[in-house]
Amino acid sequence: MRARRLQSLAALALAGWLVLPLLPLAIWSVAHGWRFPDLLPQAWTTKAWSYALSDTAGVLNSFGLTTLIATATTLLAALVGVPAGRAIGLHSFPGKRLVLILLLAPAILPGLATVFGLHGLFLRLGLTGTLAGVILAHLVPVLPYMTLVMAAVFSRFDPAIEHQARSLGATPVQTFRFVTLPAILPGLLTASLFAFLVSWSQYLLTLAIGGGRVQTLPLLLYSFVAAGRNDVTAAIALLYLLPGLVILAITARQITGRSAALTEGLRP
Amino acid sequence: MTRLALQRLTKTYPGAGQAAVHGLDLEVESGSLTALLGPSGCGKTTTMKLIAGLIAPDAGEITLDGHPITGLPPERRGVAMVFQNPLLFPHLSIAGNVGFGLRMRGLPTAQIDSQVQAMLSRVRLDGLADRRPAQLSGGQQQRAALARALVLHPAVLLLDEPLSNLDPGLRDEMRQLIRALQQETGITTLVVTHDQAEAVALADRIALMFAGRLAQHAAPQDFYRRPATKAVSRFFGGVNFLPGRSAAGLHHSAIGPLTLPPDAPEGEQILTIRPEALRLGPGPNSRPARVTALAFLGTQTRISLSVAGVALEALTSPDQAQGLDEGAEVTVSVPPEAIWLLPPDA
Amino acid sequence: MTDRTRLALMLAPALLVLGGLFLTGLGLTLLRSFRYFPALGLTKPDLAAYAAILTAPGFLRSLGLSLWIATASTLIAAALALAAALLLRQAFPGRAVISFLIHLNLTIPHIVGAIGILYLFSQSGAFARLAHAAGLIIGPQDFPALTHDPFAIGIILLYVWKELPFITLVLLANLQSLGEDHEATARTLGATRWQAFRHVLLPLLMPGLLSASALVFAFAFGAYEVPLVLGAHAPKALPVLAWQAYTNPDLATRPEAMAMAIVIAGIGLALLALYARAFRIDHAR
Repeated sequence: MRARRLQSLAALALAGWLVLPLLPLAIWSVAHGWRFPDLLPQAWTTKAWSYALSDTAGVLNSFGLTTLIATATTLLAALVGVPAGRAIGLHSFPGKRLVLILLLAPAILPGLATVFGLHGLFLRLGLTGTLAGVILAHLVPVLPYMTLVMAAVFSRFDPAIEHQARSLGATPVQTFRFVTLPAILPGLLTASLFAFLVSWSQYLLTLAIGGGRVQTLPLLLYSFVAAGRNDVTAAIALLYLLPGLVILAITARQITGRSAALTEGLRP
Repeated sequence: MTRLALQRLTKTYPGAGQAAVHGLDLEVESGSLTALLGPSGCGKTTTMKLIAGLIAPDAGEITLDGHPITGLPPERRGVAMVFQNPLLFPHLSIAGNVGFGLRMRGLPTAQIDSQVQAMLSRVRLDGLADRRPAQLSGGQQQRAALARALVLHPAVLLLDEPLSNLDPGLRDEMRQLIRALQQETGITTLVVTHDQAEAVALADRIALMFAGRLAQHAAPQDFYRRPATKAVSRFFGGVNFLPGRSAAGLHHSAIGPLTLPPDAPEGEQILTIRPEALRLGPGPNSRPARVTALAFLGTQTRISLSVAGVALEALTSPDQAQGLDEGAEVTVSVPPEAIWLLPPDA
Repeated sequence: MTDRTRLALMLAPALLVLGGLFLTGLGLTLLRSFRYFPALGLTKPDLAAYAAILTAPGFLRSLGLSLWIATASTLIAAALALAAALLLRQAFPGRAVISFLIHLNLTIPHIVGAIGILYLFSQSGAFARLAHAAGLIIGPQDFPALTHDPFAIGIILLYVWKELPFITLVLLANLQSLGEDHEATARTLGATRWQAFRHVLLPLLMPGLLSASALVFAFAFGAYEVPLVLGAHAPKALPVLAWQAYTNPDLATRPEAMAMAIVIAGIGLALLALYARAFRIDHAR
């Protein structure tokens, strides 16, 4: 049927379009001398990769640093965001609309709106150029995301099961550990993994607050772009994709959960 | 006034082991209110969707007054369907909803408005025309959805479980409204339901389906007095089944020979009698029995009996059961005119 | 402990963090934009910085460019996402692959996509080489400038590439929760397939589409790293111009940078309002 044929064509085009920008990256990362107008590199080499993974390039250090920052930010955001998410997801209270707007604002407003002021503030507090400063700064985009997703998770949670546990003799701590936490864990995991990605892809915030002293992977990546070393750039870019792929694999089983998490209003 | 006919309708969902609807033959008389009844999974909703044109059959024909509609898309069939959830369009007002079909036909606004107003009055929703669906109660939404379909004067109206989402108090009101509207407009109406009490109270005719096939198509009384099979009887609350054999006006079963009504067929049959027809006390076909349990049901009492080791059930008024206790020895009578013979289990 | 106190305790840390970081950062930017800089001896707020940027042609051109980028990217991405969501609604062979690619796309940081687009569409990039192989051009300069160009085509391509999957997922989730019954009802009331889409499905999808588009617009308008990689030198996209003004050793440009940031914040707030309204329409149902 004509419609079926059109559908297949559209699907093919969509798939191709989604993959397209990754192809030159893959090729460049193993290219040896790939000049215009060659369609494929003259020779193949692993030099770019071995350089990227070597100690001199600083890539692995930067990778570790970025991971550390993202993990710390996510943990802090979870600690603060889970109770806040519960308050929003399960209760109505005066001023709730305002709280929601306060949560949405950092996620919608471009980082530039606040980064200059934030830089001034951190300068005063002695946090510029420090790891702690960058982690705190990353909380601005990450915390709203975590809170709103957890609010959605809690809105699907029925507190009656906690009452049930209490009436069966469980203490509040036991109830949290054995009843509440397992119930919210899948949503919390998904929220945390995507909060991690939000921090992982921050550029301007790290640049402004880190002041060049905190070189996360995206900043390092750009320095190679600017230097024109396409091969190393491509290798680093592909390395930069790694956590995303891991997260994709982990959450693959919860595909609908992920979509739901994203539609709660925010995205990486 | 349209006659709806289904011929050899068959539909199997991909990946399913058996057909959802299997060779269904059904004729719905013009102007009747027919209930499509059956347990969940029996194929009644699939049948409804096939008639509406929302899914296509694997085999078979659907005709309106003899004209086939099987190949037509839903919007050209003249079949309007009201889903179980009122499914009023949330982004339109009540008037916008009710006038939707007319708007799709391209009628002028003034005409749409007057027809919508008239229909809203008919279902007693005057004054709510400009409200949003979310502002209406469940019962009002149901009436609006009904109005939306009726205003189009469809050839056939399909209602999917119209009463199940309503509070018991509202059901009666809604049932009366549906009957009144149907009789007034004369539109051939098919109501899908899983509740036999609802079907009996609502419809002129009932089409009972089991496992994708039509089990019986008759007036409501016939399902009690003359069920086609044991399964049909069971569905309508029949519990007294005595397998055996009939010959020479007598039925021989585990409780002995029972006199049959005149013109009863002969052969292997299951004798059945409605619990409410089983009599306590002397009478034709009487037998000694022992009361094994009593259950007071409010307006009736259910008496479980053991007759020659066979468990039977009787339903009487509470007065008649007065003074009876578990273990009591009584006499039960099986009036021949209340006896019905069923084919043996397949 | 009363319910009210418990509620306050649950919310307090998050509100403190956001108040202390976000609101303070925004507030400070606002103050500085009015040239209120006690540390530098400037204690009288005025609008000089705003006057300066509004009269400088550079700012207005950059503002125009960023608005163009955001508008074009959002409209194209939203339209294509609508088509994609309708396509992916039903099952077909290969849908799982596309679903995987969409989710993969979400995990890719914008800067990586930008580099990929650069290597594809630059004048010495993959498409230029294909054009050469096809005999259409002789040298890189003959290939149209799609990156680092005044129309920000490369930037728009990147945003469409990155935001299309996001909007598609939002729409797919909405489609799933809406179900097919609304359109089925419309069809049985006499609507054709197209009428059912236009009069029933599309209005129901609007809140989700609008809120997702508001997010996309905000990002396309205010992101820094994408025009950094793909943008032209003049006019610069507004975020790049603002950052340049902020890092300029001449401190006099500092308040101007702040003023630019406030303009960006203002547009962001307008989008926040749009987003909040779209959500309210949805929740009112």
